[in-house]
Amino acid sequence: MPTISLQRDDLEALIAGPDEKPARIPLDQLEQWLMLVKGELKGHNAETGELRIELQDSNRPDLWCCEGIARQIRIKQRGSAISYPFFKKPKGVAGKLVVAQGMDQVRPYVAACTAVGYRVTASGLTQLIQTQEKLADIFGRKRRSVSIGLYRLAPIVFPVSYDLVKPDDVRFTPLGMETMMTLREILMVHPKGVEYGGIVGGHDRLPVLRDAKGQVLSFPPIINSLEIGEVQVGDHELFVEVTGTDLSMVALTLNIFAANLADRGAVITPIDIHSPVKTSFGRRWSTPIDFGAPRTIPLKAIESALGEALGGKEVTSALKSYGYTVKSAGQKVAVQLPPYRNDLLHTVDVVEDVAISQGYARFAPVMPSQFTVGGLSRLEQMADRVRHLMVGLEFQEIISNIMGSHQDFCTRMRLDGTEWAKVVEVDNVMSLSYSCLRQWITPSLLQVEANSSRAFYPHRMFEVGEVAIPEASVDVGSRTVTMLGAVIAHAGAHFSEIHSCLDLLLYYLDRPFTLEPVEHPSFLDGRAGKIVSNGRVIGLLGELHPEVLEHWQIGVPAVALELEIDRLLEEV
Amino acid sequence: MDNLHPLESKVLLALIRQPDGPPTLDQLEASTGLEPSQLSMAVEWLLAKSLIAVHSETVAHIASLTPIGELFFEKYAPIERVLSAAREAGQTGKRLTIQDIQVKEALEPSDVSKAVGTLKKEGAILIVQGGCIESTGRNSATAEAMRSLLQELRSGQRELQSFSEPLRNVLQQHAVKRGNAREPFRIDERVTRSFVLTPAGKDVADQLSRDGVAEEVSQLTPELLKEGAWRTKRFRKYTISLRAPRIAAGKRHPYREFLDLVKLKLVSMGFQEMRGTLVETEFWNMDALFMPQFHPARDIHDVYFVKNPTHARTIAEPYLTQVTQVHEKGTGAGSTGWGYTFDAERAKRLVLRSQGTAVSARTLASGASVPGKYFSIARCFRYDQVDATHATDFFQVEGIVLGADINFRTLLGLLNLFAREVAQAKEVKFLPAYFPFTEPSVEMHVRHPKLGWMELGGAGLFRPEVTTPLGVSVPVIAWGLGLDRMAMVALGIHDIRDLFSADLEFIRTMRGSF
Repeated sequence: MPTISLQRDDLEALIAGPDEKPARIPLDQLEQWLMLVKGELKGHNAETGELRIELQDSNRPDLWCCEGIARQIRIKQRGSAISYPFFKKPKGVAGKLVVAQGMDQVRPYVAACTAVGYRVTASGLTQLIQTQEKLADIFGRKRRSVSIGLYRLAPIVFPVSYDLVKPDDVRFTPLGMETMMTLREILMVHPKGVEYGGIVGGHDRLPVLRDAKGQVLSFPPIINSLEIGEVQVGDHELFVEVTGTDLSMVALTLNIFAANLADRGAVITPIDIHSPVKTSFGRRWSTPIDFGAPRTIPLKAIESALGEALGGKEVTSALKSYGYTVKSAGQKVAVQLPPYRNDLLHTVDVVEDVAISQGYARFAPVMPSQFTVGGLSRLEQMADRVRHLMVGLEFQEIISNIMGSHQDFCTRMRLDGTEWAKVVEVDNVMSLSYSCLRQWITPSLLQVEANSSRAFYPHRMFEVGEVAIPEASVDVGSRTVTMLGAVIAHAGAHFSEIHSCLDLLLYYLDRPFTLEPVEHPSFLDGRAGKIVSNGRVIGLLGELHPEVLEHWQIGVPAVALELEIDRLLEEV
Repeated sequence: MDNLHPLESKVLLALIRQPDGPPTLDQLEASTGLEPSQLSMAVEWLLAKSLIAVHSETVAHIASLTPIGELFFEKYAPIERVLSAAREAGQTGKRLTIQDIQVKEALEPSDVSKAVGTLKKEGAILIVQGGCIESTGRNSATAEAMRSLLQELRSGQRELQSFSEPLRNVLQQHAVKRGNAREPFRIDERVTRSFVLTPAGKDVADQLSRDGVAEEVSQLTPELLKEGAWRTKRFRKYTISLRAPRIAAGKRHPYREFLDLVKLKLVSMGFQEMRGTLVETEFWNMDALFMPQFHPARDIHDVYFVKNPTHARTIAEPYLTQVTQVHEKGTGAGSTGWGYTFDAERAKRLVLRSQGTAVSARTLASGASVPGKYFSIARCFRYDQVDATHATDFFQVEGIVLGADINFRTLLGLLNLFAREVAQAKEVKFLPAYFPFTEPSVEMHVRHPKLGWMELGGAGLFRPEVTTPLGVSVPVIAWGLGLDRMAMVALGIHDIRDLFSADLEFIRTMRGSF
């Protein structure tokens, strides 16, 4: 999940809070505290004061920023949640935001507020932009579900409208450009239009945010206007909006921004949202909005999951000092998440927060006491028997990657266009070298042989490993088979040499077999055989075709054996 | 006696059989038939062991020709040439000075003056007025002696004493001495020693002659054993300090050895192995693990999609329905669910298995035992660039524990056991972690003897949204161990790709310390 960059001073100031003088926090102390946010300190630049922190929890976007990390630590220190008045009883609203008819077909939801009184500093601006990007990119899935706009408040005349317009009807100067452009031009020319245009492209009408005077604020989720939508250092009156496709995600994202700006000293004033259709918030609501609901949990559920009878008091204090609102009543607790969180799906989520708040060291490990019998699968047991026999036959074991190229598995083996060339291929190929799964082991061993002409001879090597054999009758389209592959290579390598190995191997495994000649392009004609046992083909062996050796640039004769270990498990 | 070299035995036997008194080296050479170098080696060894002693030591002077002598034999010595020049001049009536001779015969002035001095003294020449040389017609004893010495020594060296005294004198005068290397003869001292057995040597030699000498052989053969002939043989000793010739062993791959050990540990802790398939549906790979189809948590599982077929035909019921409901509304699991419309088609999409937990999900659905412990060492695929820390496919060691006694503390207890048994770690730290399918989730760090604090694995209690739809009603631990780093340390490698090396020499020489 995201790795963010922040300033140590900034973090320390936010942990101290508005009323306290910041103190230097030793890094090892900080690392301890980062456990509260599932954060890991990845780097620290002593000169610039930059900290790099990786946040693990993909359900806690509120923690993907300096403010969120500091908030979680501060709450733990003070032992109770921080209350944000604008969620509870706001003193009026800053203005109206009217959603146009038909928006539910394009990008239905919007949330907004104003933030006044925090004068934006350089490092504060960097953090605002980073949070905006991380939330839109990861939480908002590259702006598809959620995107965020920040504006200078002063020029905006309310009410603001969230309109749908024809692509050529509206023109404005987008960030990063110097001239007025239509929405269509932005989609075609502007880098952000090219990158994110797909989200709204295909609609006849596109969303724009405009104020009462018709000034364009932005073309969500693509780009802000240059005039209003470029926040600069020194600005102290901001307008924040979030648009998207999921009402609660949109609301949550605005809540996070509102809390962050409030933590930096801004006064947050809500905006009234007027929706043309009924939503789960109704037709009119104001944002930020605390849409969480209390959840009643039996104390016992928490205690049994943790394996520790903590008691109502400890559970209550643990959750309060993690930001929850808690009411304890007998054997139950009623808990509610702070408004900047929306990740309570199940009691177990509360259980983990109790444990994190108390610290995992609070819980003494106990050995599971129930008796179970251990063992290997029959297939693994057979694979191990085969491996041990091959070692006794003086073969060196090899481990190869299962993923490789068609070139190695088929073309070099002279298999193109034959039934032997069926392989599981990857759709989203990253590199041609790793584009399919091997259907047999021999190419993996020839890869080793091709790399090892300087290792003293003879070369005897084997691999017992998985391969994928396409098979239409199987539900996932292929069988995963555990296969033995063996190759002998030296100046006098000969069919009978590998034949003797097979003979002895299957003798010890008590598996009678016959060899039937096979025309296989990888082997010399007349020097290759199918291994048939109990009426089924269980493998093949032979002298590798000189052209195969040439393809691999191997300079000595080589013989190969391939045997399906799964088949050895079948009853004879 | 065991330590006698066959050469030594030969010399000892020759000495005991010597009827003509203490033999010299030459005599021993004849009686033993040994090469001079072998003989002198054996004699020195026996002297060092005090089995023989020097009986007498005589010094002989041996005369021989030098290269100059060889030259004089071919082209005559200066004295012969001066005399013959003088005689020639006397016949032709020419006047001949010393300088003339020097120029004509291309001789060194010192050689000429020495020859002239000797000839004049012997009366073979006269120095007349003007420094001219005249032959008297008389012979020069020195010149004749020189010629016969050159002739005799040319056929081989001789003892100085074997020459008559006049010849001996000439030889000594013209022998190489310090400060004058330009002489035709040389006289060397030769020490001749004769040897006798010491009393100890006699005992050994007697024993040898009684028991006979074992013949030396290098290889014990079936014939030697069959006939008992090995008893009279002597086995050549080897220089065992030399490096052994290289051979290749049949052996397990060191990484596989490591994984076998892990496997053994897990089985010994009561875990049953489970296996899965390389190709999986998104359903078992993710949906069954309560990873919502829209959620960013799926971003960390960037997966490879299969080209053909793209989708499985069906997903087994009742799991599809139950998982769908738990995603949408949390039905049956006491959850709110994710609140979105589940796409059953997407659930059928085929992918390369990206996490071993898929195998656990299948096990849960196929009637896992309660209590039960399961593990798999499953090959998984991630959509990552291959580099020193990312392999295209890799082993994940994962598993589950089902039981009525499972809770957060027993989870920590199990992880403690892993730390002790698998990583031999005494110190363990538990950190809060995030996995989409567990809550609470833990990251286990252990203090590794070589690496210091390192992450050993992740674990947690499966969310009820995972277990309930699969028909499991007891708590379940899901755990995974990240063992590659430990394996790399044990194998002394630094690049994860080396675990799957294609270099036979590297694989043959790689060894683990675990």
